[in-house]
Amino acid sequence: MKKLITLLITVSVCTSIWAQTPTFPRNGVYDERPELYAFTNATIYIDARNVLENGTLLIKNGVIVGVGKDLQIPNGTVVNDLKGKRIYPALIDMESDYGMPEVKRTQGGGRGTPQQIESNKKGAYGWNQALNPETEAGKLFTVNNAKADEMRKLGFATVLTHHHDGIVRGSGALVTLATDSENSVIIRSPVSAHLSFSKGSSGQQYPNSPMGAMALLRQTYYDAEWYKNAGKNVEYNISLDAFNALSGLPTVFEATDKWSLLRADKLGNEFKTQYIFRGNGDEYQRIDEIKASGGTLIVPLNFPAAFDVEDVWDADNVSLAEMKHWEMAPANAAAIEKAGVSFVLTSALLKTKTEFWTNLRKAIEYGLSETKALEALTTVPAQLLKCDDKVGSLKTGAWANFIITSGNLFNADNVIYENWIRGKKYIINNINQADIRGTYNLSMEAEKGKLIISGKPEKPDYQIVLSDTVKITPKVTYLNDVISLNFQPDRKAPNATTRLTGYREGTGFKGSGETAKGTPTKWEAALQEPIKLAEARRDSTRKPAPNVGKPLFPFVGFGNAEKPKSETLLIKNATVWTSDDAGMLPNSDVLVENGKIARIGKNLSAANARVIDGTGKHLTPGIIDEHSHIALFSINEGGQSSSAEVRMSDVINPDDINIYRQLAGGVTMSQLLHGSANSIGGQSAVVKLKWGGNVSDMLLPEAQFIKFALGENVKQANSGNPTSRYPQTRMGVEQVFMDHFTRAREYERAWDSYNSMKTKIGMPVPRRDIELDALVEILNAKRFITCHSYVQSEINMLLKVADSLGFKINTFTHILEGYKVADKMKKHGAAGSSFADWWAYKMEVKDAIPYNAAILTKVGVLTSINSDDAEMARRLNQEAAKAVEYGGIAETEALKMVTINPAKIMHLDKRTGSIKTGKDADLVLWNNHPLSIYARPDYTIVEGAIYYSTEGDDKRRDEVEKERARLVQKMISAKTGGATAIRPPFRRQRMWHCEDVEGVMAEGEEQSEEEKK
Amino acid sequence: MRTGRPSNYSIKVHKLYFAQASYFLRPISYFLLLISGLLFQPVSAQNPAPAKPQTKPIALVGGTVHVGNGTVIDKGTVVFDKGILTAVGDASTTFDRNATEVIDVTGKHLYPGLIAMGATTGLVEISSVRATTDNQEIGALNPNVRALVAYNTDSEVIPTLRNNGLLLTQATPQGGTISGSSSVMELDGWNWEDAVLKKDDGLWLTWPPFFAREFNFEDFSVSLQRNSRRQEVINNLAQLFSDARAYSQIKNPSITNLKLEALRGLFSGNQNLYIRADNSKDIIEAVKFAKSHGVQKPVIVGAEDALRVVDFLKENNIPVVLGETHRLPNRQDEPVYQPYQLPSLLQKAGVTVALSYGEAYWRTRNLPFVAGTAAGFGNLDREEALKMITSIPAKILGVDKQVGTLEKGKLATLVVCKGDILDMRSNGIEHAFIRGRKTDLDDRHKRQYKKYNDKYDIGNK
Repeated sequence: MKKLITLLITVSVCTSIWAQTPTFPRNGVYDERPELYAFTNATIYIDARNVLENGTLLIKNGVIVGVGKDLQIPNGTVVNDLKGKRIYPALIDMESDYGMPEVKRTQGGGRGTPQQIESNKKGAYGWNQALNPETEAGKLFTVNNAKADEMRKLGFATVLTHHHDGIVRGSGALVTLATDSENSVIIRSPVSAHLSFSKGSSGQQYPNSPMGAMALLRQTYYDAEWYKNAGKNVEYNISLDAFNALSGLPTVFEATDKWSLLRADKLGNEFKTQYIFRGNGDEYQRIDEIKASGGTLIVPLNFPAAFDVEDVWDADNVSLAEMKHWEMAPANAAAIEKAGVSFVLTSALLKTKTEFWTNLRKAIEYGLSETKALEALTTVPAQLLKCDDKVGSLKTGAWANFIITSGNLFNADNVIYENWIRGKKYIINNINQADIRGTYNLSMEAEKGKLIISGKPEKPDYQIVLSDTVKITPKVTYLNDVISLNFQPDRKAPNATTRLTGYREGTGFKGSGETAKGTPTKWEAALQEPIKLAEARRDSTRKPAPNVGKPLFPFVGFGNAEKPKSETLLIKNATVWTSDDAGMLPNSDVLVENGKIARIGKNLSAANARVIDGTGKHLTPGIIDEHSHIALFSINEGGQSSSAEVRMSDVINPDDINIYRQLAGGVTMSQLLHGSANSIGGQSAVVKLKWGGNVSDMLLPEAQFIKFALGENVKQANSGNPTSRYPQTRMGVEQVFMDHFTRAREYERAWDSYNSMKTKIGMPVPRRDIELDALVEILNAKRFITCHSYVQSEINMLLKVADSLGFKINTFTHILEGYKVADKMKKHGAAGSSFADWWAYKMEVKDAIPYNAAILTKVGVLTSINSDDAEMARRLNQEAAKAVEYGGIAETEALKMVTINPAKIMHLDKRTGSIKTGKDADLVLWNNHPLSIYARPDYTIVEGAIYYSTEGDDKRRDEVEKERARLVQKMISAKTGGATAIRPPFRRQRMWHCEDVEGVMAEGEEQSEEEKK
Repeated sequence: MRTGRPSNYSIKVHKLYFAQASYFLRPISYFLLLISGLLFQPVSAQNPAPAKPQTKPIALVGGTVHVGNGTVIDKGTVVFDKGILTAVGDASTTFDRNATEVIDVTGKHLYPGLIAMGATTGLVEISSVRATTDNQEIGALNPNVRALVAYNTDSEVIPTLRNNGLLLTQATPQGGTISGSSSVMELDGWNWEDAVLKKDDGLWLTWPPFFAREFNFEDFSVSLQRNSRRQEVINNLAQLFSDARAYSQIKNPSITNLKLEALRGLFSGNQNLYIRADNSKDIIEAVKFAKSHGVQKPVIVGAEDALRVVDFLKENNIPVVLGETHRLPNRQDEPVYQPYQLPSLLQKAGVTVALSYGEAYWRTRNLPFVAGTAAGFGNLDREEALKMITSIPAKILGVDKQVGTLEKGKLATLVVCKGDILDMRSNGIEHAFIRGRKTDLDDRHKRQYKKYNDKYDIGNK
């Protein structure tokens, strides 16, 4: 009932101001009022740091005209006495889709749907459907009273809304939450620009990966620049025009986790744009890196629910990372504040908006300061949006957007009474409603008892006690001083109801009614004692924040409490496999200093060195995996037959547990390749497996490679779906290369000719194309090809294409029929990186033989053995040993296939791949002959830091168990304490292989051997 | 964890169906598949001819004999005649040297032919080419289908297994809830009739898992959720088993039901019931189900989470056939080597463990290395690891009177290896005998190797 009344009030307010849009004709009589209001005796938060006790706020026509202590109140002012109450600036939310149309996801890509190669957008727009720079929230916006009411109740008056559709989402509009005509609700538009990595409703194939989205954004920046200067004379492009119009606006980038936030920042740096980041609540996990981004964060309060871990076996399906995040997420905002990162708070990403205050208070309990919280909801967003003259504070001249509260906004018992938006009142709770809570002596003519009113002042709970023991909960309505109670006085007679109706009189109630027996009666409830209120918490007092454990680097089980550091190490008396001319050195010592191999010899000594006894053990260079897909968020940008523009370095995932697992197999460096979905894949990323590091700690930027692919995958032979992407045959594959490289040559010539002009004035600048840039780099031997390949015809074909166009194929990877064209590969100078013994799983590997690596080696082709698989990678020493069995390769040579040979193939042999003075100390100490199946790493060392050791692993296991046990107990207590708990889903990590298309291979997916190609 | 194990390729094909489009191939694709099937049908002539029966006693002397039951005999003597082992002992073992072909294998190692349980070798030739796969019948309940009759002795994959020491596989059907029956095959023969060692040794049941893969067509996400349909599947199974059990009591039923007929052996104990189950709760449920329906010999296959139910498995005397342990841990927080150590941990806890290669076909040749990995990472005695691919599978399969160890009276099914068979460094098979027949160790890979050695003239390099 009360709700209905509130609604009625709201509606009536709206109607009165509906007429304020001056250009609109009016149906009825003018109703312009003075709209002059004063709010006196209030504690006024002009902003988070300026508080006025017993102040007066004076507003006129929706604008603050005065705020101070002894203000003159002009005649004709409606005065509201707010003694004991507080006024805060109304809140601002920068992350909202309020008033926007629903984003309809395309069903495309599912069963039976053909591939959508081109954009479905009709008109002179850009080529990609996920780019919507022309979208203007201000044009799409419609008022939605239900949604506005939801936000107003929380204390918000202004939101920045935008259409959450696409990678470029166009401009945002700053709107109020008033229920009014759109014309007056929209404050400013365009006010911001919005970007993301999600293609939204676009069903177009490209991009289907985050690195594709990244590349698309890069290219769009370049295209827009070109359009501004030269392109507008070549084509009319609404999208590029609109994209240019967005520049200069504050730009919000929607991140889905900490790493995508940092990825977005990388883009911003490339184009000299500092984004504002919509975060995801996990920023605390990499706060140093986030701080270095320099961006302001929009921080959600989306704390994960506890898992139901009461079943011991099911509980194992919840990872330590999930449990720790559950524990630490409420401390995210505090961590951000502590790190000194600028941030705003948002009500977005909550399951329901009503969680907002609960979660915000929780964030404060976990260490967020109230001052910062208030600023993050008022002044900071106002400044970011360059609207701080109008919103975010209660200074003269600003709009009259404020909330009236019963007390400290952040206290759990606070009540928001009214939310004023541009001088219009929205009643949230009745400010005049007296606090009726207390104990009353209830007397009817025939019976006496107690009426106890408790609960919240705006929503009291009622209880009647007629005898000492029987407690009855009556049905009560109480509104505008009129009360009605009915209850069953006798439990044994549930159908006999006493009904009392009456009104508030003084501090009590009185009225008349009828008893359960049908007898009319008068009644009265006299206040015996008002409710005892807990002493109001002083704003400054605060309990210490709850203990939340320590972060891990990376934030998963087996992560480091501290990032491993390079040490001075002396490995004594080991059998040293140098993978170098020095061969195998028995009983030798290796000294590691500053991350490098300092000395190799016998009887070495070094002060301060940590000595590792290598007696009976074998020291080898770290294993190098030439073909890996670990530590990546995505593998294939398969939307087009060439994706030379995408970079795997954009999607490195330092949290992947497989980094640690590879270290446990002696792997120290991996080449992270694009998949094999298309002929020209993406640019590779070579990483050192620095577990706990960030992307730049891991990445070796000097390694410039690109993935190519041939055969069944690129012609989509095994997809079984209607495929229409070119090519569908090996004939077409050749033409893809011929076409792209021919264009690249022409592109290069166009730039050369432009660059060599003495005077460029009036000459159109050629369009920069990052796809062709990569191909030009190949032509100029600045970027090198790793080509997924199987059968001899296609290998031969690519060699001929390369020869005819004057570039080199650096590596054929998989190359299972390499043995058939080994002589041709040698002549061309191509290396081979082979599986040890895979065959038979598809037509193009029917002729694969395990002797391949041996033949290639004997013919003189530089050969390595690779994994393409997170599991096999940790047994690469075993896989190399197969070259001994199949083909009789010497053991030292076999080890080279997973050490110095891949280093040479990746052009990194000057720094790693062998044990040689001056090289990176990437080392493995094995407990056994390194090619033996019984060999396990005792130590895996990357650049002098121990990233894996047997005893270190024991310790980590122990820590994982202890920390899990602690968190399980904590979750169970939380559930017992009333927190909602969700059933643990069984999540398995994504395992990427060449053929995986974004989104298809997800958690829980089973891997199969055939994917590995 | 897994919703049964269809052939590896079919998993992937499913994925791609999900990824892009139609569940069905376009007619043109069928046509292409058909054509490719015809063009690239395994050419039987390329495999070496099966060996002729043993005509003369053979003695292998001087080698290290790994009996397969934990015993190792240095400088041993192994003699066999007419396909049967007539003597196994140390250097003092006597035999009629004049009538016997004596092969000096000094420095070499002798092993019983390795046994790969749950394999699809012979049923799948090229997994991506539908025309070459015969491992999975349509429908959910197929107790009556038999892997035996689809087993292709001319598969080019078979000789490649022999070259790593595998001489016996259990040809195993896949898919559905009940996949059909498996048979134990010798890896040499003209046809399935003469290659079979034991027909229809057991039925294969995939226990409906607690967690099933749920695919969301809206956002292409895949997650493992509580399996909402499992109770229905279990109810259907319960109906089938109780019907079959009652049926099995009728000697000559008036109406013959092929499906119910196929289950008879389970209740008499003539056949094993191989139950694929990984999750610990699935394992308990499945075993209890089998026992409650009078199944005499249940075997758990897969068993990734078996560590949690060690006591249950022991109390119920349930043997376990592990799936491929060359895999990653299932959970982020599991110890990194846990799959490698699983065989050892179970064995040390007293569970009967056999190893398999996860129902693979060509990869099955790496089975000895799975055992080697179990020994190396699990600190397991190598002879114990060897048992997991010789005597223990023989016992589970019910062929232990014939194969699985090198003992007098058993079949002369053995290999002579350059060194330690469990380590790829030394796994070089020099001789293989199946029932005393000296098997030709040629295979497609060796032929290609030789061909290109000749092309490049690198034979001596």
